[in-house]
Amino acid sequence: MIQLFNVRKSYGGVAPALLDITFSVKKGEFIFLTGPSGAGKTTLLKILYRTEKYDRGQVLVHGMNIGKIPDRKLYTLRREIGFVFQDYKLLAKKSVFENVAFAQEVIGADKKRIRFKTWEALKNVGLTHKKDSYPPELSGGEQQRVAIARALVNSPKIILADEPTGNLDPEISLEILKLFEHAKKRGVTVVFATHDQEMIRSRKHRVVVIKRGKLVAP
Amino acid sequence: MTTSAHTTISNIKTNLQVFLISVATITVAFSILGLFLVVFVNLNSFLTTWSKQVQLIVYLKDDISQNQRQGLEQLISANSDVESMTFIPRETAWANFKNTFSSNKSDFIDDLTFNPLPSSYNLKFKPSNDRFIKIHRFADLLKGRKGVESLEYGEKWLGAFEKFMLFIRIFLLAVGGLLTLGLILIISNTIKLSFYSRQEEIELMLLIGATPNFIRVPFMMEGMLQGLLGGIFALALIKFLQLYVKIQFQGSLESIARGMEFQFISQPFIFGLLASSVLIGWVGSFISIRQFLSPAHKK
Ligand SMILES: Nc1ncnc2c1ncn2[C@@H]1O[C@H](COP(=O)(O)OP(=O)(O)OP(=O)(O)O)[C@@H](O)[C@H]1O
Ligand SMILES: [Mg+2]
Repeated sequence: MIQLFNVRKSYGGVAPALLDITFSVKKGEFIFLTGPSGAGKTTLLKILYRTEKYDRGQVLVHGMNIGKIPDRKLYTLRREIGFVFQDYKLLAKKSVFENVAFAQEVIGADKKRIRFKTWEALKNVGLTHKKDSYPPELSGGEQQRVAIARALVNSPKIILADEPTGNLDPEISLEILKLFEHAKKRGVTVVFATHDQEMIRSRKHRVVVIKRGKLVAP
Repeated sequence: MTTSAHTTISNIKTNLQVFLISVATITVAFSILGLFLVVFVNLNSFLTTWSKQVQLIVYLKDDISQNQRQGLEQLISANSDVESMTFIPRETAWANFKNTFSSNKSDFIDDLTFNPLPSSYNLKFKPSNDRFIKIHRFADLLKGRKGVESLEYGEKWLGAFEKFMLFIRIFLLAVGGLLTLGLILIISNTIKLSFYSRQEEIELMLLIGATPNFIRVPFMMEGMLQGLLGGIFALALIKFLQLYVKIQFQGSLESIARGMEFQFISQPFIFGLLASSVLIGWVGSFISIRQFLSPAHKK
């Protein structure tokens, strides 16, 4: 589902952010992507989502050579992927329901479908009772769950989650992790970036570790 | 499509003031252009009406001989620029004259017991660009002929007037071009503001899989709507002014040139104006959207 060959990325600094990264994620697999701060986790996810370009190597996502996708066709890649942003990226002026529905509107779904899918996604993250609230009125964990609902609402084949449990207490973290594991059960491929060593150890998922831009053995 | 319309409306609501100012500016600009057009159209029709009346009148001496008349007629019919020739005997001229002024009940005219008017030839010339020069030349030729009392080819100023109309035409084109440029800038600026107020949302849309068109369409619609509204308001304003002028001055115009009417710009002009207003809106928004969606804009 996801394949990287000798991917290199430099932001122009002394050391490259990613150095000859090669690994793959199978369809329906769940992996933890971990490593110390500044190791290059976000950079790697951004490359998979094409919000960042890479200098060398090959990246295949869902059969697409993503380096070859022209800007105006990027939506074809992004419609296959649900991305959970580290900073949520929720729209403060839209309600919880509208924020989630927005992902459906943007891909041109019809009204009936939008209502149904949005409701379902909110139910999955347990936030139907907050559907008319606005993001600033929510706790960090609730906002995080809205962001996850939005990433899942289009039923993507791949989920890329950038530290979706950062700054959350362990109990909520576990709940959120379960949401992704639930998606995996439905056949979704999940890349879950996290610092949380405890969470990684408690679960039986493959772990990919990068340090200073290089893959290392876990 | 309905989502786009919704977005357009909500975009306009968020920046209602900017939108209205833009529409007002477009209205003013189009009104200026439209007023010029109305003036032009009316001057033009005024000119046409007058040009039809342009004729060379050859007044004959009362004692003109039959030979002299025949010579004159031959000379006139030999001129291929002359469209028609009418002979008006002095009796007819006198009757016409009396008719025209009969309503005035002027004692002076009734008191006249003799006919002071000469016979004349009224020559109409074929319409052409250098008609005035031709008339002038032919008049010079006839001036020296025996039996010719005097010549009248009034409205010499019409020739200058026609040149002036040509100048106005060029002037209109230049003003129109400049105003169009200004309008495009104004609209692209409004759209830019509209875009800035939604920047966060638009960036998110791009991130979560919206097509560039999906993002573009509402802003294009907003731009075109601005142009169209400006065009419609301008037309209404012009129409209103025109009605006012008509009510105020139609009477006095009648006395200057019978059968003339103040004209509103014609239907093709109206559609042209509306179409160009929409086009200007389209171009204006297209320019600013291109800037935003081009890769160079993204960091
Ligand atoms: N936009 C950028 N411009 C320049 N350098 C950058 C940029 N983004 C990241 N970097 C650098 O690339 C390296 C990898 O950063 P990245 O954000 O991928 O790390 P990370 O593993 O996600 O860290 P964290 O766990 O703190 O989020 C860092 O050294 C960082 O300074
Ligand atoms: Mg990061």
